[in-house]
Amino acid sequence: MIAPDWFRDDRLPHIYCTGCGNGTIINCTLAGVEEMGWKRNETVFVSGIGCSSRAPGYILTDSLHTTHGRALAFATGVKMARPDLHVVVFTGDGDLAAIGGNHFIHACRRNVDMTVVCMNNHIYGMTGGQGSPTTPPGAISTTTPYGMSEPAFDLAELAVAAGANYVARWTSYHVKELTKAVVAGMQTPGLAFIEARTQCPTNYGRHNKLRSVPAMIEHLRSHAMLVQKRDRLVAEGKPIPEGTFTVGELVRRSRPAMGVQR
Amino acid sequence: MKLVIDESRCKGCNLCVLVCPYGIFREGTELNSRGIVAPVLDRPERCTNCRLQALYGRMLCGVCHMICPDQAISWVEEKPFEPHKVEVEF
Repeated sequence: MIAPDWFRDDRLPHIYCTGCGNGTIINCTLAGVEEMGWKRNETVFVSGIGCSSRAPGYILTDSLHTTHGRALAFATGVKMARPDLHVVVFTGDGDLAAIGGNHFIHACRRNVDMTVVCMNNHIYGMTGGQGSPTTPPGAISTTTPYGMSEPAFDLAELAVAAGANYVARWTSYHVKELTKAVVAGMQTPGLAFIEARTQCPTNYGRHNKLRSVPAMIEHLRSHAMLVQKRDRLVAEGKPIPEGTFTVGELVRRSRPAMGVQR
Repeated sequence: MKLVIDESRCKGCNLCVLVCPYGIFREGTELNSRGIVAPVLDRPERCTNCRLQALYGRMLCGVCHMICPDQAISWVEEKPFEPHKVEVEF
């Protein structure tokens, strides 16, 4: 349950398009914060530039709206200066994977104690639907009018390889699981990376025959495959269906973390 | 408790229609004053959270509340002696 007093009522309704999944991710993150019992004066939300990064503007806490791709760099600074604060980073796929990719892998390597929620909508939504590093192969965007020819970036696997302590991936359809993953990530010392695949009916679905919101959600739901099922298919030697992505908790470990208050 | 849709926030994406296990939300047909077709409630007293939230003391289902991207769905306390629509089923 999200406490309504976490929202800036004077700022709502927000600027997101009809059916945008980013509002759902804000709900899930705030439900996680509420479950953790964090106070408003000891929580900081940091974001970069993009649709997803409008999110802290609607939340009634101290927040930083920083330069494009540098949300994790600013968040590292906040955590180093004030290790008693809880830092949550909202970021998008263009923000985290494209321009901020280097900050991302080094934040994972350093294992800074914060929670990173990535709203991956497979496209640069705010600037008009250009192809991002996470646009799936074959998808049509304004910069890839004949279909994306490059392979997509798997952000969760990248975080696992770079050394984050907790990595999970869910979609905006799986609200309960996403809330549990956010809570587990907040409880884990070290960097917790939660990738939430969201729908973007306006700029992604419109070009890819998924114009309606239920169609886009159904596409996400039917292409999500649990990690356990993927592992079972691999063990049995069966082929993994084309176009699916794994959801679930990908890793939970206890590498030495940076910035944990003792 | 009573289920309400805040029409000043709803943008008419109909995600609640998709997720409600009871089918309480129905796609609306009429434009409201903001030019948005907001979903309508079909017998909202069937909602499990409306009936049993006070008994259990916690949120029971709440998927519509969580998935609503516009934070438009919430539960409010009813005023005392609020008129109810009674439907007799034969």
